[in-house]
Amino acid sequence: MSAARIVGAATAAALVLGVSACGSGSGSDAKASGGFTYWSMWRADEPQAKVIKAAIDDFTATTGAKVSVTWAGRDIAKKIGPAIAANQAPDLWDESDDKVYGTTAAAGQALDLSPVLQLPVPGEDVPVSHVIPAKYFDMLPKDPSGSNHYVIPYEVVTNAMFYNAADPAVAAAMPTPPTDWAGLLGVCDALKAAGKACIASEGEDPWTNGLFLDYLLNGAGVNVAELSADRSGAAWDNPAVLAAAQQVEQLVRGGHLIEGYDATKFPAQETNWTAGKAAFYMDGNYVTSEVARQVPAGWKMASILPPTAKTPDAGLFGFAIPKRARNAAAAQRFIAFFLQKKHLSGISTTALNITPRSDIPAPAELADVQKTLEAPSLRLSFDGVGGSWLPKVLNENYLDLWHGKSTAARFVATCRADQVTYWQTQG
Amino acid sequence: MRRTNRPTGLASRIGTAAVWTVVAADLLLVLWILLTSLRSGPDILRHGFGLPTSPQTSNYTTALDEGGFARAALNSVLTAGLSSVVAVSLAAPCAYALARRRSRTASALTTAFAMGLGVPGQVLVVPLFVGLSRVGLTDSDLGLGLVYVGLAMPFTVFLLTGFFRGIPGVLEEAAVLDGAGPLRTFVLVVLPVARGGLVTAFLLQFVTAWNETLFALVLTNSQGTVTLPVALSSFVAAQQFNGLDFGTMFAGVCIILAPMIALFSWMGSRIIQGMTVGIGK
Amino acid sequence: MATTIEDPLRTGAARGRSERAARAGVGPLERQRRRVFWPFAAPALLVYAVLFVAPVGYALWTSLHRWDGMGGMDWRGLQNYTLLFRDPRFRTSLFNTLELMVVGGTITFVLSFALTLVLREMRARLFARSVLFFPSLVNGMVFGIAAGFLFSPTGPVNRALELFGVTTPPKWLATDNLLPMVLGTLVWTATGYYTSIIMAAVDQIPDHLYEAAELDGAGPFQRFRHVTLPCAWDVIAVCAVLWTVSSVKIFELILLYGGSTNAYPPVSSWNTAVYVYTEAFPQGTVPRLGTATAAAIVSLAMVTLITVVLRRLLRREPIEY
Repeated sequence: MSAARIVGAATAAALVLGVSACGSGSGSDAKASGGFTYWSMWRADEPQAKVIKAAIDDFTATTGAKVSVTWAGRDIAKKIGPAIAANQAPDLWDESDDKVYGTTAAAGQALDLSPVLQLPVPGEDVPVSHVIPAKYFDMLPKDPSGSNHYVIPYEVVTNAMFYNAADPAVAAAMPTPPTDWAGLLGVCDALKAAGKACIASEGEDPWTNGLFLDYLLNGAGVNVAELSADRSGAAWDNPAVLAAAQQVEQLVRGGHLIEGYDATKFPAQETNWTAGKAAFYMDGNYVTSEVARQVPAGWKMASILPPTAKTPDAGLFGFAIPKRARNAAAAQRFIAFFLQKKHLSGISTTALNITPRSDIPAPAELADVQKTLEAPSLRLSFDGVGGSWLPKVLNENYLDLWHGKSTAARFVATCRADQVTYWQTQG
Repeated sequence: MRRTNRPTGLASRIGTAAVWTVVAADLLLVLWILLTSLRSGPDILRHGFGLPTSPQTSNYTTALDEGGFARAALNSVLTAGLSSVVAVSLAAPCAYALARRRSRTASALTTAFAMGLGVPGQVLVVPLFVGLSRVGLTDSDLGLGLVYVGLAMPFTVFLLTGFFRGIPGVLEEAAVLDGAGPLRTFVLVVLPVARGGLVTAFLLQFVTAWNETLFALVLTNSQGTVTLPVALSSFVAAQQFNGLDFGTMFAGVCIILAPMIALFSWMGSRIIQGMTVGIGK
Repeated sequence: MATTIEDPLRTGAARGRSERAARAGVGPLERQRRRVFWPFAAPALLVYAVLFVAPVGYALWTSLHRWDGMGGMDWRGLQNYTLLFRDPRFRTSLFNTLELMVVGGTITFVLSFALTLVLREMRARLFARSVLFFPSLVNGMVFGIAAGFLFSPTGPVNRALELFGVTTPPKWLATDNLLPMVLGTLVWTATGYYTSIIMAAVDQIPDHLYEAAELDGAGPFQRFRHVTLPCAWDVIAVCAVLWTVSSVKIFELILLYGGSTNAYPPVSSWNTAVYVYTEAFPQGTVPRLGTATAAAIVSLAMVTLITVVLRRLLRREPIEY
């Protein structure tokens, strides 16, 4: 690695020399005029890209700084690591909080963006920390330097059970949202009697289906991250864990999941749900944009959390800056620039999603969700547990439970055993 | 080649029926993809199978334009085409030398090339990325093409070595007796005879590069440099958070498939025959 | 693996003669060949060394470290390897790799042989062969997309089965059926591929051998055993090796059939290539490139070993005709 470092240093030196040598050459444009490079998680044809593009144009017009944009799409999370390793990283990029943390922050490669929170929001006379609630940062895991300000959100999401409030069968079965688990099962029974499945589920996906367990554990006061971190596996002996698994089992055994859910691929059941074959669909609130083109006229999107859940989960989409970025200051200025109301509103009006600013109203179909997100504190889904614990310990055992091939007791026992071996091989 | 018109046994008749069933299934699959690419997205989701009621050629214009498939197709043609030409022109003389020389070194080198056949691509991704970025060739089709040339070496050398061994040495003896130099002998005598093998090697490499996804995904970023498989993969990935227009996606699938279908209906039997000669000798 | 490449190349009558002549004395041709060896071989060797061998060496070096791909490397010696073998998930992956290789290979080659029996004698066989070969030219992503439609509970596959009176068809896309589905797709694409190659070799077997066998009263199976198999043996042997090395690289199919937008495929369906991928591109945590490359090196060692053994088993005296 030392040889590589020398080469890297030589490259950096050459760049610096190049910059001073050619003054206003095209390569140094970015530096000279406060410009920067930006890699986006969005494709140029997506609405979020259009909103950001408009802000970039305005930024260039206002400050004269040139921004070189790459609309990379979701694969950006696979590219950022190698790019940082090769010193080719952009000055600014964006992704969901877990991707930013996993690919860069956890390794100490993300810049602490606390200074951005002190920057004034252009034209609004308040610092960024005033418009972005602290609760969105408080829920994030800390990076090695102890900071949780490595991503500044411009779009926030939460996971919930979505349904069509205009569907008479749902309205009849659920006059008011259930307050306990038995209440939800009651709603499911009423729907079943009316000939409608309760929950549409993409049976292949352990993540969205696992959210039921996640919310139940949250309601029972169990933190999934703490559960996963117990090397002895004893945390699984907590009766509350078994109880949550049994509640999931009630959904499965009760026949409340849409028929054939374990034999299809995404988006088959999402499509069935929009066709009214089931009442609820558990997913992030971006589901409203996903299905916007399919839902029938008169569809009224609404959402509830699984009953007993104490804290709603939240996810962030936001900007991050690699530690090795060359034009970090310019990128930071742009973050503050984008968060001003006139630009950020586009995330709500054009991209039809929710912004972290409570003074920007969410699109009508997400009004419920925005209310959910007004909770005083939030948490990450699965309490932010990351890495290969999900695929190696939880996911497959949970799918077995979800498909009715396993029991709650067996689920807990296999997870406990797999977790012990998992930690033995983490070195 | 011979024709038998004799009545054949029951087993053979069942076998023939099975072959035609599979052939029909293959053709129907392609037909279905073609037809679906002409339907609207929501319609496809409601009924996966059906005829296009009003053919939507707009799927193709959307795919080519907004989906970025037009630029990606150009990148794919250039990257796959040029890298295959370079790979074959590098591999051919080497394979010839290895095929004709019977020394320990030659056989060791032949083995070294063949070992490369078993290396999974994941091993190479990160080292190649780090290496390419040192010379400023990431997010560039030139860099991706170079990688494809490198990746092509084991199979192309392996295939062509077999091919050159199948060419009788008598021809070269005659050329040498006439006083031709080694390069002349190779270019004017050996290469024309080996044309079939070279074309096969080129086509196979072209197909591989055309469909390659992993390296293209990691080594290219911007919508100006991506190749078709990356364009498709990123288009599909966008279904999360913003929904997917299945009509446009199927149009994209057709854009990837079309050259393969064309190529194969034109040169299919040639590829297969060339391959057999190459690997069999 | 030295023998693997040498043997098949030693067959063929025409070559033998000139080779012998060349070896007997150092003629002008042999001298010339010696002279051009390095100039001819060097460019390809250089490219291979820089773009292929060096990265593999770098990977080997990485496998002895802990590395997140961005910061510095920490020396770990062989610890990555010992941890791998203690991980039951890795052992499952190895087992699945072998299963795909052996089970998939057996089915593929049995079917290919059966098809060569049929294809030699049927009408429009060139057309049929071309179509059978076609799936191997298709990007794996297309299969992943198509499968969701084709095998859905109300999809055409189940409708077709209904016609044959199957009322409770299997849940094709269920997690349990993941590996069988992958295997099925592999067999479908590979059978066409290898049948086409083997058939091209069969075409070169002179007709008189078959006619003679027929005169001796040999049925189709005997003709296959005593004429086709021995005459096309070299090609079949190389095909077997090609299958072995390519089966280890199967990766996209498992990811496409088993994965979702949010999660990797169920861990019981991973093979070593998927294992490598999940370690190198994990979700929500830093890459563990040390373990990833160690797993890749283990699978490389395994496939090399198997190939050597396979070549030994398949070695036969060449048949001349």
